[in-house]
Amino acid sequence: MEFQINFAHLHLLLNHIPVIGTIIAVCLFLISFFGKNDDLRRSSLIIFAGIAFLTIPTFVSGFGAQANIAKQPEVSKALIERHEGAAMLSFWFMEITGALAIVGLWQFHRTSRPARWNVLAVLLFSVVTVGLMARTGNTGGDIRHPEVWESREAPVTEGTIGSIVHVFEPNPDKFTRAMVFSKWETAFLMDLHFIGLALIVGIIGALDLRILGFAKQLPIAPLHKFVPWALAGLGINVTTGMLVFIGMPVYYTYDAALWLKILALMLLGLNAAAFYLTDAFSGVEHVKAGEDAALSAKLVAASSMCLWLAVITLGRYIQSFPDTIN
Amino acid sequence: MFLNTIEESGLSTWIRETESPFGFYFILLLHNIGLSLAVGTSVLIGLRLLGFAPDLPLAPLKKFFTVLWTGAWISGVSGVFLLLAYPTKALTNPLFYVKLTLIGLGIWITLRIEKVVFDDTKASEEVKLARGRSLAARSFIVWLAAVSAGRLLAYTYKYLLYGRTG
Repeated sequence: MEFQINFAHLHLLLNHIPVIGTIIAVCLFLISFFGKNDDLRRSSLIIFAGIAFLTIPTFVSGFGAQANIAKQPEVSKALIERHEGAAMLSFWFMEITGALAIVGLWQFHRTSRPARWNVLAVLLFSVVTVGLMARTGNTGGDIRHPEVWESREAPVTEGTIGSIVHVFEPNPDKFTRAMVFSKWETAFLMDLHFIGLALIVGIIGALDLRILGFAKQLPIAPLHKFVPWALAGLGINVTTGMLVFIGMPVYYTYDAALWLKILALMLLGLNAAAFYLTDAFSGVEHVKAGEDAALSAKLVAASSMCLWLAVITLGRYIQSFPDTIN
Repeated sequence: MFLNTIEESGLSTWIRETESPFGFYFILLLHNIGLSLAVGTSVLIGLRLLGFAPDLPLAPLKKFFTVLWTGAWISGVSGVFLLLAYPTKALTNPLFYVKLTLIGLGIWITLRIEKVVFDDTKASEEVKLARGRSLAARSFIVWLAAVSAGRLLAYTYKYLLYGRTG
C-alpha cells in the first residue's frame, strides 16, 4: 500500500495559516481591549486554538518539503537549517499560545471571563509568536525566493534581532541525535503519551457515553467539569508526540498512518468546534439526571468516539507503515 | 526449552510473522484500548472520590465499572496473546513480573473501591467519599506505575526470542 503526498505543495498550502492567522488573531485580541468586547476576545482565543492545531501538520510537512528541495543544487542547506530552527521555536510558542487560549476559553465558560493572568499570558505569548512566525515565514521564503534577497548572495548572515532570536532556536540535528542515542528519552516520552491517552479516553469517553444515553442518572454539566483533565492529556500527547517526531522526522514523515492520524485529529478539532460553537453544547449543559441529550449532541458524541478510535488505531499502526508515502 | 516450544507453535509464529493487519499490531492495539478504558475510567472515578466535581452524584458512576472491567478483560486477553507471541521476551524480563504484581494490586484496589464505595447502597455520600479517598489515591499511584512498567517492557528486554538477544 503506497500513498502519494507532495510535501512541498502541502507545506506551501499550510504555512501561510500560522503566519497570517496569528496576525489576525492578535489584532482581534488587541481590539477587544479597547472596545471591552468579550465576544471579540473569545473569537480571537478560538482562532489561536484553531491555528495551534493547524500548525501541527504545517510543521510536520516541513520535513518532507525539505527533503524535496534539498536535492536541488541551487538550494542553500544553511538557509534550510535556519528556517528549520526558526520553525521549531515558533511552533512551541504557537502551541503554548493555543494552550493558553483554550484555558481562557474554559474560564470564559466557567466564570464568563478569563482570569487576568490568562489575558496577560495570551497577550505576551501571542505577540512573541507573531514575531517568531514572521521570522519563520521570512526564513522559509529566503530558501526559494532569491528575488527578496537584499544582495545576490544568499542571506545566511543575521541582522541584530535575528542574531538574538537565533540563540534561542534549537539545533534540529542535535535534538535528533540526542533522541536516537538515548532510548530512555523516547521510552519516557512514550510512557507519558500513554498516560495522556488514558486521561483522554477516560474523560472524553465517559462524557460521550453519557451524551449517547449511557449512565443516564448522571447530570451532564458536572461530568463536563472533568474536561480540563482530558485537555491536560491532549497537551501531554501533543508535546510528547511532537518531541518524538522531531527525534525521528525521516522515519515518521513518510508514514501514511501518521498522516491519517493527524487528519483524524484535525477532524476532532472540527468536531469539538461543532459541539462548543453551536446549540449542541448549551443544550447538553442543561441535561439533568434521567434526561436525554439532543440528537445533534449525540451525533457529535458518536463522531468523537469514532475519531478517537481512529486516532488510537492509526497511532498504534505507525510502526507498521513506514515508507508508505512517496 | 518450554519457551522455545511456545515460540515455535503455529499461533505464536502467526502472531509474530503474519502480514495480515490482524496480527501482532492489532493485538497490541486491543491491549492499548483495553488499558486506556480501564485506567482512564479509574482516573475518572478516582478524581470524583478525591473530591473533584462534588455535584456529580456518586451512585450512578457505578455504571462505569462495566466499562472499566470490559477494558480490563480486553487488556488481559490480548495480553495473553502478546505473551504467546514473545514468551522469552516477557518472561526473562524482571520488569514483566513487576508489571503483573502492580496489575494485581490495581485490580484488588479497584475491587475494594467498587465494594466499599459503590456496592454499599445504605451509606451516605460523605461516608463513601471518606472510605474511597485513600483507595483512589493508591489506585492512581499503582496504575501509573503499572502503565509505566508495561510501556518500558519494550525498552528493557534482554532476549527477544529464545536464544536471540534483543
